Amino acid sequence: MIEWFQQNWLLVVVPLAIFLAFCVIGLWARRVLYTNLNRSLTRSGWGGREVLIQTTRGPFFFWFILLGLYVAIAFSSIPEDTKTLIIKIIASIFIISIVWLLIILSERLLSIYLSEFENVKRPAKYIMIALRSTLIVVGLLILLDYWGWPLTPLILLIAIIMLVIILASRDAILNIFSGFEITASRLVKEGDFIKIGSGDAGYVTDIGWRNVVVRTPDQITIVIPNSKLVRETIVNYGHPLKKAAEPFHFYTRLHLKELTGLKATNLIALVNILKAAPDSIVYYHTHHFLEEYQYLNPEPANDFALWVGDALDNPILSEKLANIDTFEFTSLASLKNALISVMEQYMIENPGIRFTQAEREFHFVKVVNIIAPTNYYASDLREFVEVLRKVTLDSLYYHVFESRLRLQRRSSDFSVWIRDSFDESDLAEKIDNLVPYTTTLEGLRSEIIQLIEKRIK
Amino acid sequence: MDNAIINRYKNRLEDYQPIVGKNIIDELKILGSHLTGRKVQNVNSTFSGGGVAEILARMVPLLKQLGVDASWDVIEGDEEFFNVTKKFHNALHGQEETFTKDDLNIFIETSRRNNENMALDADIFYIHDPQPIMLVERKKSSGGDWIWRCHVDVSHPDKEVWKFLRKYIVGYDATVFSAPEFSQQLPVKQYMISPSIDPLSDKNREMSQSEIQSVLNKYGLGNGKPMVVQISRFDYLKDPVGVIQAFRMVRKGIDCQLVLAGGTATDDPESTRVLEDVRECAGNDPDIKILPIPPGSDLEINALQRAATVVFQKSLKEGFGLTISEALWKGKPVVATAVGGIPQQVRNKVTGLLCHSVEGAAWALKQLLSNPEYAAWLGKNGREHVKQNFLITRHIKEYMLLFIAVNNPSDTINL
Repeated sequence: MIEWFQQNWLLVVVPLAIFLAFCVIGLWARRVLYTNLNRSLTRSGWGGREVLIQTTRGPFFFWFILLGLYVAIAFSSIPEDTKTLIIKIIASIFIISIVWLLIILSERLLSIYLSEFENVKRPAKYIMIALRSTLIVVGLLILLDYWGWPLTPLILLIAIIMLVIILASRDAILNIFSGFEITASRLVKEGDFIKIGSGDAGYVTDIGWRNVVVRTPDQITIVIPNSKLVRETIVNYGHPLKKAAEPFHFYTRLHLKELTGLKATNLIALVNILKAAPDSIVYYHTHHFLEEYQYLNPEPANDFALWVGDALDNPILSEKLANIDTFEFTSLASLKNALISVMEQYMIENPGIRFTQAEREFHFVKVVNIIAPTNYYASDLREFVEVLRKVTLDSLYYHVFESRLRLQRRSSDFSVWIRDSFDESDLAEKIDNLVPYTTTLEGLRSEIIQLIEKRIK
Repeated sequence: MDNAIINRYKNRLEDYQPIVGKNIIDELKILGSHLTGRKVQNVNSTFSGGGVAEILARMVPLLKQLGVDASWDVIEGDEEFFNVTKKFHNALHGQEETFTKDDLNIFIETSRRNNENMALDADIFYIHDPQPIMLVERKKSSGGDWIWRCHVDVSHPDKEVWKFLRKYIVGYDATVFSAPEFSQQLPVKQYMISPSIDPLSDKNREMSQSEIQSVLNKYGLGNGKPMVVQISRFDYLKDPVGVIQAFRMVRKGIDCQLVLAGGTATDDPESTRVLEDVRECAGNDPDIKILPIPPGSDLEINALQRAATVVFQKSLKEGFGLTISEALWKGKPVVATAVGGIPQQVRNKVTGLLCHSVEGAAWALKQLLSNPEYAAWLGKNGREHVKQNFLITRHIKEYMLLFIAVNNPSDTINL
């Protein structure tokens, strides 16, 4: 052995020297390169600096060792067949190390990037799996190619499998990437109040990797696919306003007309029947036009004024009755007394009875109210406005008109809630000051919405 | 219920949403949730022809969609029976009719046979018009709430007929009329529910110009003259002769054409006689078209109304006169007599013009033909008025409110 070494020492020492030289150059190059890299990355303030340096520092030196081995073997006197095999193994180890490094580096950098977004943990996990699988497959293909294996059938198979996977999960993929877009652009956040293109509005309760969940004021949960949300026109009102201790529950008031069979052919009969009439009759004849002719502005006068004018052909008394301002009265009894008082005063000043034709009697109708809760609740003014846009005119009618008579004060249910829940006396007063009898119900709805929107802007 | 009828009307509740709004549909669902599973049995005299059958054919499937277990049955009767009920109908409208003892016996015997044969199984029995009124005799054995729905103008009924029917009416838990003028002094509750039109029906849906034109061509109406149209059954109470007289007064000064179109109902044997009288009155006038159209010609009616310059409804008596709402829904100016439920639909000079005579009808027609802008304004208001008050969604709502309120004595019901 010693004898062989004395004769062939150059065959051993030269490759060894080459290998050691690469090791030394590797150490020097790593030191120079990473010192400069660290400096320039520190200056740039890039968040991935530490990960990049820590992850690649070891492999960088490892690749110099591999390079040293490769060159040393090339200069060695090992038989050609063995030499080729060893070089191929070294090259394969190099490919594997590159793939391994790319996997580790991309996962760590992605983790840093995604850690800013709390709601994408699940999609991030799936993306990492996909990335890792892709890199492994690519590395494997390069290795097989390097070792001379036929690749075409394999690539074809992989392409088909990939195509099937992509087709089967294209919606999910679209939703995942849209989820990134929503989160990265901060389009919506949990707790935001948004309105989507369909007109539905509500608070965002969850942003998932496939859907955004919205809870509407009528307690409906809307699940919107992320890909749909990014294509929609959405209005984001931002975070909730001050919450009321008790949410406002919208009710609706529906009614049936009940015929009494009572009818008047002259003013005396009209007054006498009216005197004994319950509130539900007075209510019908002073309010039904608001609903039936809600598209007309100005709306027709109360039924008594119309009948006296049309059927009794008495325009003066008709005007006097039409001029009684329903808005001034907070009880039907006082409104009834005012109507009777005007008619009685007129009869004193203008004695004589005038009868109408047989077909034009005044028919007394009363109202049967059916009050039903709706599914709509509002816990802040933003929700309140959105619900107000949606409720029926019957609901608006109940909370604005009937409330005054129910509460027997000049307040609507809306203004009472706004005053009590938010201490917004000015806004409540402005709503109370709207005169609901001089506009259409749609006009009234619009005015209330405008007042509140101006306040919460 | 006749399955063929059910199959004809497949509209879903949601189909009405673009017309009336989501909130109205939601409101109906809220009411429906309070009536889920309640059985409501409707009974009338015919599955086809006339306003009642038309309303029930649409209402019943929609009530079912809302959770109400609604059904529809008809009584049986021969020609003699329907001749008597037609006389009842005319007498309730105030027309003079003579009733023999035999007439009443025919009515009572047929009704008793129906009472024996009809399967009654419901929580609420909703009986329409006088023909099946005697079913209430089974109230004791069937239980449930009984409602009599009167679709007829009974503002001035023949006293004898009313007295006869009243015996049965007072047996009901509640009655329903179409207008305040129809209310009577009764010991039972009387509600007012107006009928309605279905905006998605063939009679009221939107039509293309080519569809309209093809109907006009079919009836030879393409001469370009302003067209005055009255659509109604050939019935003396619709005064088709009065319409011709008014039209002739107007045509002296304004060139126009008149179309009188209408069908017949299986329970209306009188219509053939009326049609003969109308034809005689029209003579060979080339500007007057008499079109007896068979039941189910809804698209033809729709096209005629849409092609009309002015729509007439010169009824002498009227239950409600749904053809008015149909015309108003199409934005047409209307001239109509102030009878029955018509003033509810036509508020004079706001949603149309009311008249009380042939001369009044002629004068109103002249106003509209010579002032198209005014006519268009009335038509626009009319459409809004129908949208608010006379669409089927409002009707369903009131039916459900009635079912909720029928045995509740309070003026305010909290659900």
